[in-house]
Amino acid sequence: MKLRSIIENGLLRFFLICSVISLSGCWDRNEVNDLALITAAGFDMVSDEKIELSVLVFIPKGGGSSDQAMESGNGGASQTLVRSAEGKTVADAMAKLQEKLPRKIFWGHTDVFILDEELAKKGIAGHVDFIMRHPTLRERGQIFVSSQKAKKVLKLMPPLERDLSEVLKELSQHKLGLNITTKKLAQMLIGDSGDCALPWITILPPENKEKPKQTIAYITGTAIFKKDKMIGIIDDSVTRGVLWLRNEILLGVITIKPPKTDGYISVNVLQAQSKLVPKIQNGKWIITLKSVSASDIVQNTTKLDVSNPVVLKSLEPLLAKEIEKRIKKARNQVQEEMKADIFGFAEAFHRKYPDVWNKKKNRWNEIYPNVELKFDTKCHIRRQGLTS
Amino acid sequence: MVLVEQQTILSKDRLSIHLHDNVKKLESIYADCADIKFRYFLIGNESKAVLIYVDGMSNVEEIDNNLLTPLMRLELEKEPDIHALIENTLTVSNIKEIQTYDDVVSEVSSGNPIILIDHQSKGISAGIPKWEKRSLQEPTTETVVRGPRDGFIETLSTNIVLLRRKIRSPKLKIKSLQIGRYSQTQVVIMYIEGIADQTLIEEVQNRLNRIDIDGILESGYIEEFIKDHPYSPFPLMLDTERPDIAAASLLEGNVVILTDGTPFALIAPTTFYSLLQSPEDYYEGFIIGTLIRWLRYVFLLVALLLPSVYVAILTYHQEMIPTTLLISVAKSREQIPFPALVEALIMEVSFEALREAGIRLPKNIGSAVSIVGALVIGQAAVSAGLVSAPMVMAVAITGIASFLIPRYSASIVLRILRFPIMFLAGTLGLVGIMLALLTIIVHMCTLRSFGVPYLQPLAPIRNSELKDSIIRAPWWSFKKRPHWTDDYNKVRQPNGQQPSPLKGKE
Repeated sequence: MKLRSIIENGLLRFFLICSVISLSGCWDRNEVNDLALITAAGFDMVSDEKIELSVLVFIPKGGGSSDQAMESGNGGASQTLVRSAEGKTVADAMAKLQEKLPRKIFWGHTDVFILDEELAKKGIAGHVDFIMRHPTLRERGQIFVSSQKAKKVLKLMPPLERDLSEVLKELSQHKLGLNITTKKLAQMLIGDSGDCALPWITILPPENKEKPKQTIAYITGTAIFKKDKMIGIIDDSVTRGVLWLRNEILLGVITIKPPKTDGYISVNVLQAQSKLVPKIQNGKWIITLKSVSASDIVQNTTKLDVSNPVVLKSLEPLLAKEIEKRIKKARNQVQEEMKADIFGFAEAFHRKYPDVWNKKKNRWNEIYPNVELKFDTKCHIRRQGLTS
Repeated sequence: MVLVEQQTILSKDRLSIHLHDNVKKLESIYADCADIKFRYFLIGNESKAVLIYVDGMSNVEEIDNNLLTPLMRLELEKEPDIHALIENTLTVSNIKEIQTYDDVVSEVSSGNPIILIDHQSKGISAGIPKWEKRSLQEPTTETVVRGPRDGFIETLSTNIVLLRRKIRSPKLKIKSLQIGRYSQTQVVIMYIEGIADQTLIEEVQNRLNRIDIDGILESGYIEEFIKDHPYSPFPLMLDTERPDIAAASLLEGNVVILTDGTPFALIAPTTFYSLLQSPEDYYEGFIIGTLIRWLRYVFLLVALLLPSVYVAILTYHQEMIPTTLLISVAKSREQIPFPALVEALIMEVSFEALREAGIRLPKNIGSAVSIVGALVIGQAAVSAGLVSAPMVMAVAITGIASFLIPRYSASIVLRILRFPIMFLAGTLGLVGIMLALLTIIVHMCTLRSFGVPYLQPLAPIRNSELKDSIIRAPWWSFKKRPHWTDDYNKVRQPNGQQPSPLKGKE
């Protein structure tokens, strides 16, 4: 009897549980075969009212068995597809785009967003809002501003990497230019100054003229934004100075020319850290950039004996000068000419002098171009390489 | 029930003083038993006697030389006295007097020949059984690289000897009882006095005594009768074919139940972690033992969850895996007509079928089946576009993982639980997997094996025992025995036995 009641009870429970699963479950079930994997997206300005959303869709063909993979192996020409649609907003365009795609748009793996110059000049905040607000889009995705139409960039067929999103992701990982994710961009936009900067990409001229699409886009500089509107571009050597100010320097080669000899010495920066120290003195707003870096000598074309510690020590101030020169160049262009605070000066002052900041923050636009920049640069040359 | 009552009445009947009556009664008991032999003879040409034995279960040579020869050649001066015969005539070491019919029956069925003599109300039983038995072999399901290679066999007396040879102390106690109305299987409880808790021994005895069944053919029968939670899929007793595992458990205060007719001993109480331990953990170095234990814990989860996690991520959480991985999985799944859940179910079910077929078939055909299975499932199914290659990999790794669990009884449980988890993963995604895991863990927390919490020493936590479950600490650091129930003999070995160069100076 007991066993029977347990079985009856159990069966009842079993069916109840099963009905719970079938009634409530599965509603967002998606097979991979039914998803359009979007690896990159581009936003273009078409007219004052309309924007165009282009997406790079991965085509999951030819993986199954080895011989199929061989066929599509050359060039990867059939691996990706670009589709685009116009709309009043990005979301509107996305809805229209879905009509043109048999599979469900899947944003989960979108790592790269490209904005075209026109759109950037008009203001990007509204479009970034979509990226931040949509639940499946990732805040990790990287944002670039392109000199050409984003659609054209997306249509490139990179010869080395899987697709363009992979190229741009890997390039920004080198940290030779700015590396801005959606999250960082949003933080800059709501920051104290509201000014931001994004990496600027252009299409690399193709080596093979017959296949004009077989090339990549690469980072050539930085687009500077006043609030959310683009106001100018700085080139990649100036960008290096920006990186020092933003404490984003990762690696780089600096070449110095020692006095009284011919030739150059190149050092490889291994480790660098910088910090902005604000100060308000007699009504004067001053920022000191404290930086410490360690580097190795990688090439020496002079007659100097770098194995001599004294010589090595004498090179360090030269190196500091060189670094300061780079930073000054960046400061001149961005702070004095464009008057955009992309270095985070506003945040630094806000943190150190919250009271003063609250009183003066409305006048920051006037104060900022006159903020004085001082340097406290420490350079260490650690090793002189194998030969000397 | 009537039959049982008759038997109990019979057992109380004492042997008659007349041989004629005894023989008549025994012949009626053994009617139509062609294998029971009655051998009539005269002791010293005068006194009538009968020898009763089962053909093929007693040592006939010994009967001839040590029972019949001395008795028949005896020169009688007066009525033969049982006591005198045992003391003076019969050259058999294991010998005893018997008084009831029931004794006769049980001795005869154990292979001990019986001698009944006219005008004597007692009989003689000679302990000289002999039958064909399997030689000691290494247990095929529990092989080790380093460690003893003997295994239990189907004969109880041999199994007891195997344990007695490992633990020679007279503190090793053996209690014997019979279970099964018809099979009358001998079952023994073994424990070490002073280490095993007395209440545990009583509890085991009580539970065994409650069993009323026609026959016990394997220790699995007993296990189901005395399990604490009869509906739980988890094994609440450890079964082993290895005497070293049984001996080690005895030394930790467990009770070993040996059953005649099967090489599988039951060990109670047990915990979940003991089911995940291999004897080799203790024989090889402790660092290796620890690492292999961790490997086993990881693959325990793999065996339970891998197909489910694969299904859940592929149908609900595609953003969770790296882009490149998703792309290659998407490529291989492009041609597959089934949803991931169905695909996983097909593969898992056919894998289980293959495994079952491989066990049932004779060894030489079994390997052929596995080759065919590997080709059909692995190669053909993928190239035919029925299942994707990553799925084959997931199933294969799951299969390997389930073989990593040293106890077969534990690995079957994981195999069973995998399927409901797969359904939950296919309907609720990772949430479903978490629900299933929670349910399993809560269930395991409620389990007890003879009063010992199943997840001890982690739940409830016992710090001193963690060194033999999370890791395998060196032997010289096991200072205390595991704590099963309230009263226990704490100290296993003294402190300070770690070897070091300083020891030489002492």
